[in-house]
Amino acid sequence: MRPCSLLAALALLLVPFCLARAGVELVSLPERESVQLTIYNSADLTLVRELRKLTLRKGLNRLSFGWANTMIDPTSLSLRALERPEAVQLLDVAYPPRVSSEGIWSVQSQLEGEVPVEISFFTSGITWRALYLAILAPDEKSMHLEGYVLVTNNSGEDYQNAKTRLVVGRIHLLEQIAELARRPAPYGMPLEAQGRALAEEKRVLMRKAEAALDAAAAPPAPTRPKEIIKEGLSEYFLYTIEGTESIPNAWSKRLPSMQASEVPVLNLYKYEEERYGKEVVRFILFANDLQHKLGSSPLPDGKVKVFRRVDGQGHLSYEGADSTKYIPVDQKVELNLGPTPKVRVEPRMVRTRTENFSFNKDRNIDGWEELQDWKLEVRNNGETPSRVEIRRNFRHQYWELSQEGNGKARFEKLDLDTVSFTLELQPRERKQISYTVRFFEGERRNHR
Amino acid sequence: MKRKALSGLAMGLVFLAVTTAQARIKLVALPQREAIFLRLDNPAFTLVEEERYLMLQKGSNQVDFSWKGVNIEPDSIRLEILDHPREVKLISVSFPPNEAALVWQLYSPEPFNERVRVSYLLSGLDRLVTYEGLVPMDESVMELKSYLVLRNFSGEDFSQAEVLMDYGESFQKSIRHQETKRMLFFSRPKLRVEKTFSWDDWKQPWDPGKLEGNVGIPVFYTLHNTKEGGLGENALWGGKVRVFQEDGRGSTIFLGEDLMEFVPLGEKFSLYLGDSRDIVVTQSKMKEERKVKERNNSGKPILWDMEEILEVKIENFRDRPAVLLLTEHIPGQWDMASCTHEYQLKDFQTLEFRIDLKPREKVNLTMHFHRRNLR
Repeated sequence: MRPCSLLAALALLLVPFCLARAGVELVSLPERESVQLTIYNSADLTLVRELRKLTLRKGLNRLSFGWANTMIDPTSLSLRALERPEAVQLLDVAYPPRVSSEGIWSVQSQLEGEVPVEISFFTSGITWRALYLAILAPDEKSMHLEGYVLVTNNSGEDYQNAKTRLVVGRIHLLEQIAELARRPAPYGMPLEAQGRALAEEKRVLMRKAEAALDAAAAPPAPTRPKEIIKEGLSEYFLYTIEGTESIPNAWSKRLPSMQASEVPVLNLYKYEEERYGKEVVRFILFANDLQHKLGSSPLPDGKVKVFRRVDGQGHLSYEGADSTKYIPVDQKVELNLGPTPKVRVEPRMVRTRTENFSFNKDRNIDGWEELQDWKLEVRNNGETPSRVEIRRNFRHQYWELSQEGNGKARFEKLDLDTVSFTLELQPRERKQISYTVRFFEGERRNHR
Repeated sequence: MKRKALSGLAMGLVFLAVTTAQARIKLVALPQREAIFLRLDNPAFTLVEEERYLMLQKGSNQVDFSWKGVNIEPDSIRLEILDHPREVKLISVSFPPNEAALVWQLYSPEPFNERVRVSYLLSGLDRLVTYEGLVPMDESVMELKSYLVLRNFSGEDFSQAEVLMDYGESFQKSIRHQETKRMLFFSRPKLRVEKTFSWDDWKQPWDPGKLEGNVGIPVFYTLHNTKEGGLGENALWGGKVRVFQEDGRGSTIFLGEDLMEFVPLGEKFSLYLGDSRDIVVTQSKMKEERKVKERNNSGKPILWDMEEILEVKIENFRDRPAVLLLTEHIPGQWDMASCTHEYQLKDFQTLEFRIDLKPREKVNLTMHFHRRNLR
């Protein structure tokens, strides 16, 4: 059932300029010509823009706008004339006493007749999120990627045939829109007045107004999924859904946002005890760039479910899921599919010894060097080639690493105390990495 | 008999032959306000000045002033005689028990229709200022609109009050008790805007790749309250600023909001609107080595230097240029051995780098420095 929504009860009141609230006459109820929703995903925030045609009289006009049972931020209410703004002067917007969910604009008009206006405000309760489905090829060298957006309307208001835009980005808000929508006075109260107001009897006058939801004729049934136009604005990315969408209150809608086939991917198996424990974690690597048949727009953060095609009949197996971060164009992506037994890494310290002791003048030991010989057994148990990255975090920055004979592997110093070994393994292949690390302790750190 | 229990402000003129308590209740005329001024330049109290005509009789006159349910500061109430200040004398002010009221005793040598001004401090009626900015697609300038919000929770309705601020023209407004009104205060078309991104090694994580979510780089708009900046007429009151951007299709998107502090004339102000995830800064320490300089008699190091190398990788994934203000801290005594980029020393330990990034550019910044005389 639709909630009793009074949003869009925009009434034009023609009254003499006086303080009296009672006895105003409802002259006309302008229709909502069109509506545009700009929905943010980093905050519970939607910018609503409506176009309406008001019939104004010369002189002072009063327009009442009500929004009972919705989640509108009253401080965001804005009205502007789209044509000849100099002839339609907005004097003020008043939030009448003891009436929640109503704003009254005073408009001085030099025009008589229909004037198109735009009304805008923030509402909470409409959200969207991105989600992705990835299907790996049987050889795991490429994937088919589908992106979707899921829009959910819990705003208390039905939006019929709305132009819908989704904003990707992180916005700075001082207060939550939902909190602003619930405030008894739109801008709060002066400090001294707050206590008194609580003590006063709270009588909320609910203004009866006819819900003016336009029961616009249903658009013709679509013959293909809607396209989403993507463009960057400031630090945000804007997804504009083709045509219009009707999203009744409490409903969700899922729309395809992108798809790409044969995206080359790399399986990377990572081992780092301090981060992942003793297990090897599988990652799918690609980049949001042209080389990977992507890169036309950033990819908003969302859950990714990864499947693999297992046979010629198109059957799938589930490989794992991850939540991606926001991925800018050209950035590399690592999807973490969790621990896997496909690759095993077993580090073993095979020998330890100390040497090069130094002594202070009392003949107490004040420095030494500790040598550790390590062997890392790396095994690919799978049927596909694998790249394995093994990170070793040392206990401090005073170290030297050496490799001799068999078991040499390419390594890179990542920072003070971290190195990374990378090696490629064929199906069912085993490899061994050997290295010796020399730690400088005590005074030996000063005399390397 | 009791005083008429009216809520709100009431003023009554009572003719007296004998000043007794009973006589006060004989309300003869209730003079209307001729003019009312609300001065909103002080954020704590609003100064109200109201002008009324009193039909004074020859001899002693009593004027009742009551304010039941209205937040008047009683000590601040003042009566000023405007037409015949030399002739009409204020004899006494008395406060009846348990009432929000006072009685002025006036002496008039002749009957006068006298204009008087009553002034008092009122709480619960104040003003806020909010701002709305609109930038074009290239974000080079901003149209700034300032709105004045009047909030009346004082207990009193005001009709056609002349509202005065510390600057700007006065205007007439009616506002009822418990009513809020918002109106345009000023509008400036083209303010110069500089957009910057900001990264601080004390505030942002060094290795965003290791974190679950994206690490945003705060985005700021900086404007100047100067003539060159498009403002420079008055100090700007603090208030919430909401910024929108044109989308090139006749509509706008909301970029974010920030609280602007009071901005004196000639000063600049920055608005933090949101975070960019298209600029990524990763910092690593590549070297940290102690060099002992002095030892005590036991051979224990007591004074040393520390040699450090920091590498900062800056990636601009945007297809537009960007200005990144990168802040690094090196506490204590130090000297720079080499640095790939120029910096400005904000204080003894704060270095600010201004990095101009081209579209899709990746920049590596390396600082090689010694921290001296550590103990």
